[in-house]
Amino acid sequence: MKGPGRYGRLRGLSVAFLSGMVFSLFPVVSNSFGETAKRVFSDQERLQRGERMYREGLLPSGEPMQAYVKGDLPVPGTAFTCVSCHLRSGLGSVEGGVVTPPTNGDKLFQPFQLLFKGLEQKYFPLPPRRPAYTDVTLAEVIRSGTTPAGGALNDVMPRYFLEDGDMEDLLFYLKELSSRYSPGISAASLHFATVITDGVNPEDRDAMLAPLEQYIAIKNNQAKAYKAPGNRSRQMAENMLVSKELATRSVTLSRWVLKGPPQTWRKQLEEYNRREPAFALLGGISSGEWKPVHDFSEENHVPCLFPMTDLPVVSETDWYTLYPSKGYYQEGEAAARYLHADGVVPEGGAVVQIMRDSPEGKALATGFRQAWLDAGHPAPTTVTLGAAQTVTGDLLRGITAKKPAAIMVWDGPEMLPALQALATAENRPASVFISARYLDKGLWSVPDQVRPFTYITYPHTFALNVAYSSMGSAKLQEDRQKTLNRANVLIKSKAQEMASLGASLTQLLTMALMDMRGNYYRDTFFDVIGMVADQPSSVFGRLSFGPGQRYASKGCYVVQLSEGPTPELVKKSDWVIH
Amino acid sequence: MLRTTLISLFALSVLGMPLTVQPAAAETKYQRTIENYAMPDVVLVNQNGTKVRLKELMQSNKPVIVDFIFGTCTTICPILSVSFANLQQKLAADSRKVQLVSISIDPENDSPKVMKEYLKRYRAKPGWDFLTGSRADIDKVMYAFNAYIPNKMSHFPLTLIRSSKDGKWIRIFGLMGSSEFLEECRKVGIQ
Repeated sequence: MKGPGRYGRLRGLSVAFLSGMVFSLFPVVSNSFGETAKRVFSDQERLQRGERMYREGLLPSGEPMQAYVKGDLPVPGTAFTCVSCHLRSGLGSVEGGVVTPPTNGDKLFQPFQLLFKGLEQKYFPLPPRRPAYTDVTLAEVIRSGTTPAGGALNDVMPRYFLEDGDMEDLLFYLKELSSRYSPGISAASLHFATVITDGVNPEDRDAMLAPLEQYIAIKNNQAKAYKAPGNRSRQMAENMLVSKELATRSVTLSRWVLKGPPQTWRKQLEEYNRREPAFALLGGISSGEWKPVHDFSEENHVPCLFPMTDLPVVSETDWYTLYPSKGYYQEGEAAARYLHADGVVPEGGAVVQIMRDSPEGKALATGFRQAWLDAGHPAPTTVTLGAAQTVTGDLLRGITAKKPAAIMVWDGPEMLPALQALATAENRPASVFISARYLDKGLWSVPDQVRPFTYITYPHTFALNVAYSSMGSAKLQEDRQKTLNRANVLIKSKAQEMASLGASLTQLLTMALMDMRGNYYRDTFFDVIGMVADQPSSVFGRLSFGPGQRYASKGCYVVQLSEGPTPELVKKSDWVIH
Repeated sequence: MLRTTLISLFALSVLGMPLTVQPAAAETKYQRTIENYAMPDVVLVNQNGTKVRLKELMQSNKPVIVDFIFGTCTTICPILSVSFANLQQKLAADSRKVQLVSISIDPENDSPKVMKEYLKRYRAKPGWDFLTGSRADIDKVMYAFNAYIPNKMSHFPLTLIRSSKDGKWIRIFGLMGSSEFLEECRKVGIQ
């Protein structure tokens, strides 16, 4: 019964929408008696109309849906959408003591079971038991909050005014929503893939995969053991584990190795996915950009969890890739926010960015520019360094002659010696910003003379401070360490970073698989991760999640390097700068 | 005649009882106490990126209403925010008569940009500020209101209303309906 059909259908939505646009030029047709007949919409159009109500709170007419909450609070549907509480998959949420029950196709039309041998009792208050909904009782509960059993829904559930036609479209959408398992799921296994591109250092790749493969090996040994008939451990596992559906399923992970130039990756990904559809992509590592994989995930609705890249696609609306951080872009943002909060740039004061024409340089400059504009400043001037160009004293003196208030130098460690020219430049700006990630180990050899006015974006934690409370629930303390010497840097190599992020990825996967409780729909995967509590990370200090949030590390320090041959990094900002 | 009607009404109400699974919406379900709070001296940032000294904002000569929310919150925050929006709508041109303050419990994600878009969604008018800041400062504010939570996903609905007359706070734990909220507002002189 459960299969991938819905996804193919949803992929057709954009085509259907376009054809719908053409037809909508003729919304009514006259019959031979001069009366107007109601236009009949295709299934795809009805799904589109229902989805718009569910996700955006907009009626097919474009008007906001009208509703009441708490008995008498009028709300426009746009402020109170179905998706905000029932989430994208329709499986619902638990927040602040309010349990939002599922509204997906698979659950609505069968009786709602409160308990599986007492296991769901961890969530209070529980939503009421109910018989299976029919079209009539479902329309009634959406309009009045009256359940088929004659009870009333919690009054935080809005009561919606919907015309019959709109209600039919919404119900049509709900019937399809998470009604069949997503591709990659079978009765015996959950299939995942990880993307590895040409040119990746094998040590880094193996460091990323080691924690994941170890988890899979342990998980599969358990599943194998539980499959023995009459196995008591299995019975216990099914009763005691949060997700009984997980006990006997194994997890498989394919390596999707991409060869050749990035413009050919997409085709290779589509071919892999056609041959062995994966429920989701886990981790992944690339020698360069990530955009082709991001676009594949977005357009095929295949979630990608924690690709190990410092060059993510930065978007406020894209849904299907959850990155560890915004990478270089985030450092550029931090520089802009620090400079803005510091107030040293007079209103309308000039800021110059010297940008290496590389993915890293561009990401830093784009992040800075966007955050600088958002803070209300005029656009910075950008000087681009071509492949053959280097930063020289003359270039810097030429720029300072125009008296900029601040200079960003988004380049690798080769530019460091030239910075000395700034120490004696006549119109030296108050501050110069450079990127620790781009400098890598060169960070520790910033020339002494420029350290007092050079600010470094540093995207890693100084210390890992975790305070454990009972039952394994960790409350994360702030990183309060003010200085850091080279010997005490937590992460000293790319492979260590991959191993640490690989461990975080594995932790997220284990939690998500349990919290999904057998609801193996791709949208549920990210819906449950959106409800995960903050996690510690030796790379970023804190990884935080939230509904729709797609970059787990939100911070970046601005630091300076102290003087002398064995300098320390000295914090000049908070982790998150507003 | 009257007696027969009363008996019938009684019988009907008894018969109707088992059908009432949950209390009606109008019934008060929130807890209300009067409190004194000492404000920490922290500087937060509002939706326009402007620094705001919390003490000054809280000790204004206008009534102040505070809640704790975050930009990507699913269930509780929309209801709290709809209450704020509804109050502003009722006050119309007088929306500045009361200072509404939403404090972020997800300060890492709630940048001025996120907060501005959030307020726009609720058609906020002047007089409603959404504040973020460093996690340490936000923690101080949560502790000051006895509202500390370590994890934003386990937050609870709380509305705090400060009377400008005596500086005391009405602490409301739970979600109110529109008329209940307006009634509480009237008690501190917001009409």
